Amino acid sequence: MSFLQEIRKNKYLYLLALPGFAFLIVFAYVPLSGHLIAFKKYRLADGLWGSKFVGFDNFKFFFMSADWYKVTFNTAFINGLFLVFGLGIALLLALFLNEIRHALFKRLAQSFIFMPYFISWLVVSMMAFAFLNTTDGIVNRTLEAYGMEKINWYLKADVWPAILTVIYVWKFAGYYSIIFLAAITGISGEYYESARIDGATRFQQIVHITLPLIRSVAIVLGLLGVGRIFYGDFGMIYGIIGDNSALYPTTDVIDTYTYRALRVLSDFSKSSAVILYQSIMGLITIVVFNQIAKKIDKDSGLF
Amino acid sequence: MKKTLAVGLSVLLLMLAVLGCSSKSNNNGSSATNDASGSKAPASGDKLDPVTLKIILPGDRPADMDQVIAEAEKRMADTINVKLNLVFVPWSDLASKTQVMLASGEDVDLIFDAPWLHMEQMIAAGYYEPLEDLLAQYGQDAVTVRSQQMFDANKFQDKIYALPLGNSHLDGRTYVVRKDLREKYGIPPIKSYEELIAFAKKVKENEKSIIPILTSGQPGAKDQSWGAFRSFMTFDPEILRSDAIGQSLILNYKNNDGKVYNLFDQMDPTVWSWIEEARELYKGGLIHPDILAIKDVMSVFESGDVAVLATNSFGVPQQIASSLPKNVPGAEVEAVTFIPLEKGKVTTNFKQANFQAIPKVSKNKERAMMFLNWTAKKENYDLLAYGIEGQDYEAVGDDQYKTLPDSKYGYFPYAWVWNPTLDRLNAGFDPESIEHYKFNANADNLIASKLTGFSFNPEPVANEVSLYSAIEDKYYSSLFNGVTDPTDTWNKLKAEGEGYLKKIQVELQKQIDEFLNK
Repeated sequence: MSFLQEIRKNKYLYLLALPGFAFLIVFAYVPLSGHLIAFKKYRLADGLWGSKFVGFDNFKFFFMSADWYKVTFNTAFINGLFLVFGLGIALLLALFLNEIRHALFKRLAQSFIFMPYFISWLVVSMMAFAFLNTTDGIVNRTLEAYGMEKINWYLKADVWPAILTVIYVWKFAGYYSIIFLAAITGISGEYYESARIDGATRFQQIVHITLPLIRSVAIVLGLLGVGRIFYGDFGMIYGIIGDNSALYPTTDVIDTYTYRALRVLSDFSKSSAVILYQSIMGLITIVVFNQIAKKIDKDSGLF
Repeated sequence: MKKTLAVGLSVLLLMLAVLGCSSKSNNNGSSATNDASGSKAPASGDKLDPVTLKIILPGDRPADMDQVIAEAEKRMADTINVKLNLVFVPWSDLASKTQVMLASGEDVDLIFDAPWLHMEQMIAAGYYEPLEDLLAQYGQDAVTVRSQQMFDANKFQDKIYALPLGNSHLDGRTYVVRKDLREKYGIPPIKSYEELIAFAKKVKENEKSIIPILTSGQPGAKDQSWGAFRSFMTFDPEILRSDAIGQSLILNYKNNDGKVYNLFDQMDPTVWSWIEEARELYKGGLIHPDILAIKDVMSVFESGDVAVLATNSFGVPQQIASSLPKNVPGAEVEAVTFIPLEKGKVTTNFKQANFQAIPKVSKNKERAMMFLNWTAKKENYDLLAYGIEGQDYEAVGDDQYKTLPDSKYGYFPYAWVWNPTLDRLNAGFDPESIEHYKFNANADNLIASKLTGFSFNPEPVANEVSLYSAIEDKYYSSLFNGVTDPTDTWNKLKAEGEGYLKKIQVELQKQIDEFLNK
């Protein structure tokens, strides 16, 4: 059967897929050609093809700096924290929500934990400042009320990965828990019924039925997160930390570092070079973790 | 699977072909319109086709903007027939947003830029159109209202790449001081830096809820770091920023000798004393403890939590003067500056701090210049600078104005129309600030820098500049605001940055020598 026949036979099915294809091509494949900029001395006036080819020159500024491995580590470390705690707590939330039997309370609780997802990072950063600032921050006031020393949070670099993780979990755990909850709802009630007949407790039902059955969802979400582990969330980190140089040692990620280094020079090619670096690192990690996932469970890999 | 892949690939090819064609036809289209309007334009009395100019400005859109635009469009309808699409970009995002606009080739006709933003870099990247021909053809009025020095000194790589905007030859610098607090403690008007610090200490001792000193601790405003800010008011020696790395003092000029001094080679004792003093102030709780984390210092001052704020320009910024009394009843502010009103004391390179440039991608370059030219007429300038007469402002004589209480038209002529000839001063300024403005509007009152007209081309040391900037941003603000230990911070900065900065210094010196030997 030739290619055209296949299309003619299933033309309506292919028609359905067309918007999806178009989306992928326009937003995922065509932009790939933009990586070429990383190897050129891109000038707007010359255009993409007219600009001079310079090989790996654009990568120099990043790898010449003493900080590149540190910001790479920071990025992976902070995103690792986000991934583990974000998904872990979302999973717990989903399990708890699933056990709530009062329908109205369940809805309310769900909406309530989902809400922070809609708050913009700018607002979050102001809330963080209202909590943590030294003069009249809520945290420092509380510390003072209990007779403790005020802490200048905005100078303490060590605690910020933890603070950022708390903020991230607060903002996203509700969102991910909805995905888990959807997976849990999909589990057939018969499993639980027969478990109850066999005398399983609620806790045993969770451990032996719910968790194994949503494992694949958790692995997929985890793998997707791992693929983006070298992309610092610029909106979040720059929104909250801003240009506070005292916090750079632990919170400077690849994206903010690049932004700062190129703010003075505004070089398109150099930032493309960094993005290519992040993409390649992301690709490597996702391939490795996918292999690991497949080793553990044959069917749970992404590809 | 193979089949879907084939379908995908063929669609991809198709898309690429379409994209390729469309971008090509765009280029042709734009050059065609350029030619067309170019040939039509000389007969300036004729009515031209309506054209909408997209103009990028910094700051917030004033509430009355639409009324002013309507009036301006009405006045232009019979001549240059320009419609205005003004896009305001918040100050905090200005550098990144304008850069993305230019880099992505967004269709912009006039854009605000400045050497303290990223002017040299944008010019080096080839985003801006040289203006000589356009000025000669359509910009006669825009040229006459500015002095020749203004154009000569603000060339970049020997060309005029943007219209300089300024009403003075020296940037003012001011400490905004809470007058009500000063009077509360019976302190006479502040005349020296020592008196300013004495006032700050008094506030620290007596006011529990007020922090004496705040200034910007952001790497984007290095000039306002408390210690570095003192360089603007110290004249023995007078230490001037170099042209290579933004507002940083680490490379500097002094004695007007055409040499680049590097603080890594030899620390200037005056600069070191500023750093150490800032450290003492920070440790003593006089400088705001969260200085590095505060993004908008103006609003913190306006809330009444701070007694002294370092700002640019002479006089109290209008925003503070109007909103502070609303937040804190009875609060008053005054401007304190230690820049002398003495002829031949302050050095300047006549560089202006604000510019309007025409991007290469603009399809309406002629019309953009005609618009700039149109703003150089007194009645048009007054409209765009101060709003609608009788509603937003009231003219006071020929060279001053008063903002009316109901005005909803914020002050921003510096962003698009400013020039020394037509500008009016705020009659609400204190007499001393007005004196400063008038004094510095006269070029002869200032020492002309040897490097007047010089601009640095960062291209040969681009890698070093990005590497060094990223390093300096880690330490500069905490160093000059006293947040961390001076010796320790300085040694780290020096250890990491010295090598790169040396290369930048050598390149800068080379370009300066070439400039001076011309």
